[in-house]
Amino acid sequence: MGNAYSENAPFLHRQAVFASRLNYKYFQGGLSEGRKLEFDKLNEPVIWVRDSKDLITLIKMFQQDDACMIDYLSSLTAYDNKDKVDGPKRFVVVYNLFSTTTHVRVRLKLAVDDGEAAPTITHIWPAANWLEREVWDMFGIKFDGHPNLRRIMMDERFTGHPLRKEYPIKQREPFADNIPFHLGAQPLPKSEK
Amino acid sequence: MDNKQPLADFYNPNVLINLGPAHPAMHGTLRVMCRINGEVIEDASCEIGYLHRAIEKLAEEKTYHQWMVYTDRLNYCSALINNIAYAMTVENVMGIKITDRCMWVRMIMMELSRIIDHLVCLAANILDAGAMTCFWLLFRWREEVYTMIESACGMRLTTTYARIGGMSYDIPEDFIPRLKKFCQEFPKALDEVDALLTGNRIWIDRTRGVGVLSRADAIAYGVTGPVARASGLDIDLRRDRPYYAYDKVKFDVAVGSNGDTYDRYLVRMEEMRQSTLILKQCIEKLPAGPIWVEDSRVKIPEKMDVYTKMEVLIHHFKIFMEGIDVPAGETFTCVEGGNGELGFYLVSRGGPKAWRMHVKSPSLMQFQAYEKMIKGDKIADAVATLGSVNIIAGELDR
Repeated sequence: MGNAYSENAPFLHRQAVFASRLNYKYFQGGLSEGRKLEFDKLNEPVIWVRDSKDLITLIKMFQQDDACMIDYLSSLTAYDNKDKVDGPKRFVVVYNLFSTTTHVRVRLKLAVDDGEAAPTITHIWPAANWLEREVWDMFGIKFDGHPNLRRIMMDERFTGHPLRKEYPIKQREPFADNIPFHLGAQPLPKSEK
Repeated sequence: MDNKQPLADFYNPNVLINLGPAHPAMHGTLRVMCRINGEVIEDASCEIGYLHRAIEKLAEEKTYHQWMVYTDRLNYCSALINNIAYAMTVENVMGIKITDRCMWVRMIMMELSRIIDHLVCLAANILDAGAMTCFWLLFRWREEVYTMIESACGMRLTTTYARIGGMSYDIPEDFIPRLKKFCQEFPKALDEVDALLTGNRIWIDRTRGVGVLSRADAIAYGVTGPVARASGLDIDLRRDRPYYAYDKVKFDVAVGSNGDTYDRYLVRMEEMRQSTLILKQCIEKLPAGPIWVEDSRVKIPEKMDVYTKMEVLIHHFKIFMEGIDVPAGETFTCVEGGNGELGFYLVSRGGPKAWRMHVKSPSLMQFQAYEKMIKGDKIADAVATLGSVNIIAGELDR
């Protein structure tokens, strides 16, 4: 087995320290209930969180934890779990977190059902704004508390969510005209004072 | 919420102005809606999706090899970085460690690619600000790099050079002498541009304090790469999370302090110099040996054997008709792309097609921060800022 990372790079050590910290700090006794710790092919930790509340708690804890000092949202995405390999729920929302100081990565996973909403993390990282909009657009997962949950890639009149497995790849929906002039969350300019 | 109210009211202090999506200064299909007061942008909102081609959906429909060509079309200014990052992702899931020579060849290609990415960005940015000479000075070298890349893989813009487990071809014989010549002469062109611009009053007035992104905002908005480094965020995945042999080469990470367009220009100029240094070290250390990993799951057989041996022919067909079998597993592999952290999040459930392939594109994060960067600036500054953050629509919309 091998991977692309340079051997003996200092971050690998910190990543290992963080992994052992996870075991005794975040998965001790009652804490581990509903949580699940896995390691991916690069030996980076993947944590299945209990529920929406647990997700926010964990992110806040990782921000404080000096073994990781997570401060950066690397990506936020989701995948369709239609074949039920990863539990009974339909979708999995994936948060790839990174630290600009310790260079440790951690991945959080939240399983949500069709119609169930995930919590927004735009108040923690404004970067999540567009990423959550993209997940809503592509998978139809709603984010509670999102300031401006509109479609981002597709036209606002589009029907369906293209990255769901049942969406046919060649199904298209052309629109002859453009959407009206507007300014994001505020569709109209401020009224004249 | 009446969207149909006419905006022809000339005396309205809040006029909406639309930049893009089809405007030569917008570098691709980017659209920004600005609410302006006089010439100052008070509020801005970006709209994306004009170049959405469902690349992530296609990844679930195509085999791993077939999808390689789509990675070229993400960031088409540095297609090689995309190719290699994607190949690296699949190799990580399969647990393949590529050969030493392949590793160094890939590093050469990634650095060349980074140089042309920065060249395009700077040349276009400078051209937008009205300086034609620097554009020609820089694009001459972009042409030279493209010719070198063409000699290695037969294509210029959309290269499709990498393969899972190796490269489609080894570099040709005259590549290294050519690269040596490039490493000697290219910094001189940078010096020339440096002399023309860095102390130039017009350029400084045009760019300093324009499109400022603070360090805190760079972290909050998830911005990486040269833009984040210009804001004083000292982060470079080549140094911090070294992949391949980046820990065996010496280079400095250029970090700015003000986070404005001028600092982004300086950071990019310095990064090209550092990339040239890395290239020089790569030339010295490039080992001989095979370019393909000895792994029958992925190795594409020699053409000569395909034509003469039955088993090899069958194997060849199996690789291309059925695809390679990638075991179940997942990885989020990131490299330092021309624009910042370029990542592929691959979820495999086994078989020849990906279950989910997500592309973490640096451009998306930068364009989101762009809304904030241009607030309070003039309309003309918005164009200068856009050029300096180098948003590539193909990567932005995927």
